[in-house]
Amino acid sequence: MSQVIALTPWDLVLATGLVVAAGLISLALRLGLEKRLAIAALRTVVQLGLAGLILKYVFALDQPLLVAAALLVMTLFAAREAVRRVSRRYGRVHLDAWLAMAVSGLAVGGIVTQVIVGVDPFYDPQYVIPLFGMILGNAMNGISLCLDRFLEHLATRRAELELKLAFGATRAEVLNEPLRAAVRTGMIPIINGMAAVGIVSLPGMMTGQILAGSAPLVAVSYQILVMFMLAAAIAVGAILVALAGGRRLVGPDGRLRLERMNEVG
Amino acid sequence: MASLLTAGPFSATNAEGRELYADVRLEVEHGRFVLLSGASGSGKSTLLRQVAGLHRAEGARRTLGDTEYGRGELCRWRARVTLLAQDAPMLLGGTIEDNLGFPFRLGPASKPYDAEQARGLLERVGLGELEPTRDASSLSGGERHRLGLVRGLLWDPEVLLADEPLSGVDAECAAQCLALLRAQARRADRSVVCVLHEPGLAAAAEPDLRLILADGRLEPSP
Repeated sequence: MSQVIALTPWDLVLATGLVVAAGLISLALRLGLEKRLAIAALRTVVQLGLAGLILKYVFALDQPLLVAAALLVMTLFAAREAVRRVSRRYGRVHLDAWLAMAVSGLAVGGIVTQVIVGVDPFYDPQYVIPLFGMILGNAMNGISLCLDRFLEHLATRRAELELKLAFGATRAEVLNEPLRAAVRTGMIPIINGMAAVGIVSLPGMMTGQILAGSAPLVAVSYQILVMFMLAAAIAVGAILVALAGGRRLVGPDGRLRLERMNEVG
Repeated sequence: MASLLTAGPFSATNAEGRELYADVRLEVEHGRFVLLSGASGSGKSTLLRQVAGLHRAEGARRTLGDTEYGRGELCRWRARVTLLAQDAPMLLGGTIEDNLGFPFRLGPASKPYDAEQARGLLERVGLGELEPTRDASSLSGGERHRLGLVRGLLWDPEVLLADEPLSGVDAECAAQCLALLRAQARRADRSVVCVLHEPGLAAAAEPDLRLILADGRLEPSP
């Protein structure tokens, strides 16, 4: 046992049949999703293929700087993607999303790889890249949900915020409620995920480890680590992005600067 | 005697970039009920928002009594020079009591919320029947404005800036509210600056001073 069955190109061609079946359903029901499905399938193949090639290269060279560069690129893409899903923007929103992503990723990923797992050498790409990848992917979701909710709160409840300001509320007091509501929104998916894990769903990483031959309990302990680290990364990333946005859109004197924000799409 | 409040200079343009007014200063003496009028779109609301420090006002200085409030002290300024905004905004999902009491739970509050006094004021503006636990968003426009007025009177700031506080309030009740505003204004170390939407109300206001914002300037009017 423990022997991984590698997939041949022919196996993937068969797998393509599955996505084609999904396309046929779309055609039969006139969902109009065939084109988007085809593009998405193509992107899956191309993006994962590229990622595989790059990872192969990074793993083979085993250079700390190369690992750092890969992480940097990952944070940049994650930040861009996080902002793309938010329906309001302000100047430097990309910078704020990136900072939140980088700080939460570095803090949580650093603790996980260096203190908990004890990766050796410290930059070992086989651990560092997938662990950071999971952290950034989830922080991205948390950050975009949180930011979207935060900006929506500021935009739609302006009169209420100014009411508080009019009676002397400080910036911290006026941002308290929008911030809490936004961080809560950002964290709900991971909390739901943690509550359902193992009963409703077997997470991808654990499934992958088991498929790759790990003992279930090893896979389970990694999965517990992963859930906890994702909760931390999302919490930190969400708080940071909301704090950063709050500083841009509310002056130190509490005056709202919502003219800096605009709605997109 | 020195003025209670001096603030300015203020300038503002409207959304199209046309100048509304320039170099306007507001000066209010102790114990005055000041009525601010001006044509619709002349910038009365913007001016009140600038005085309160809620609207951008480059280079403006704000003094209350002997104390000047710099840019870093605007939160404390607003607690003492408090704007009742035009549409009588409410806390979303808040009860009557939340809406009256929240200022007293903010940082600059210097006294506790007085439920007894709140009850008395609610009765005087004709809202005595309201359950304190009722959701404020279920109130009508006129009720909301009266609740906003009670909130301002309870808070009792040195200067109350009231922007159309009696919209949607029926004539009889409006007269009662106006009397409350006047009484508030004429107390020692207090003043009220008020904009009234309705000419009839404005005529009956009996202010100590009428100011008019016209042609980009703020001037006393007869």
